[in-house]
Amino acid sequence: MKLSLKYKVLMIVILSVFTAFSLYYFVTKLQQEQAVTEALIDYRNITREYGLDAVYKSKEYPIEVELYPTAHTEAILERWKAISERYPELDYPKAAIEAEDWLTVEESLEDTDVLKEVVDQMYEDSTIPPEGAGASFTTLFNYIKYHQYDTQYIEEVLIDLGIEPLKETD
Amino acid sequence: MKKKKVIMVTMTIILLIVICYFAFQFVNQNQDIEDAIEQEFRSLRIYMEEIYAIEFLDDDRAMVFYSWAHPDFSNFGVMELEKTWRGWQFVEAISNRMERKNAWLKGVYAEITDHAILRGPTWASVDKIVIITDDGREYTPELGKAERQIWYLILEDEPFEEATFILYDSDGEVLREEVLQFDLNS
Repeated sequence: MKLSLKYKVLMIVILSVFTAFSLYYFVTKLQQEQAVTEALIDYRNITREYGLDAVYKSKEYPIEVELYPTAHTEAILERWKAISERYPELDYPKAAIEAEDWLTVEESLEDTDVLKEVVDQMYEDSTIPPEGAGASFTTLFNYIKYHQYDTQYIEEVLIDLGIEPLKETD
Repeated sequence: MKKKKVIMVTMTIILLIVICYFAFQFVNQNQDIEDAIEQEFRSLRIYMEEIYAIEFLDDDRAMVFYSWAHPDFSNFGVMELEKTWRGWQFVEAISNRMERKNAWLKGVYAEITDHAILRGPTWASVDKIVIITDDGREYTPELGKAERQIWYLILEDEPFEEATFILYDSDGEVLREEVLQFDLNS
């Protein structure tokens, strides 16, 4: 069976168009899946880190997840705000919080230089720690995020500066 | 001859479709729901979870009660699955943060698809819970056990904002009475 040139060209054009559409479809699908995966990881992390409530309406493209603050979230924000009011160099992202844009809120606590600068200033301002005592940026991060006192004197410094209430004794 | 060939090709295609349909049905019928749940958690990118209970609403609907996030597992989730021709598939999921520490009992109201659910953590020593509402309704919620324990109630009538929870141990002795309030707008 001998095919005419016209027929051969037509077949090549049809196959090329089909291949191009298939490639476009699979690349788009792959990009969408990657975007969904990244978004789901972000939602998981932010839900865990800020103790948010989450409603997953759709976990496929287009993804639909709603996040709501809880008492745990409020406690984190209160600690953050208390530090920021005394040390304004630590940004308290009020607009992002009001807009419940939790990914932007998280970004505001990622500047390790600012965290270090603030915790150093706190140790300097307090009369409690002896000279030479200090803390790393994670100390302030862990206090704000997890209410942890992971370095010597940090709890006393926070009480001394009026950020944490005085401990009640029995 | 040509007609015969067309019939053969058509018959082969129909046969393949029928085989595929029955193969799907077979896989579907024999799909282990626990494998499907595991897969759904992975696709949600949740890797550390505790499953307390799987509640079948009917043959094609199920709810999974779980908590997640190492180390305290304080995010309490419920996920609804539906059985389709592709097997068990995700419908919707809700996650609520509830701190366990120093609490005998916590609880939250949530709506998932068209179901109203009350649920929360309770101590492992609790063997039975009785809920009494202000208008005299009485419920016995289910307990879901894993390393920790939760209680849950799928409501079939009107939700309530407040109720007394009576907690019993395995000897039927009252361990504690607690009043819980629920935000029905959450």
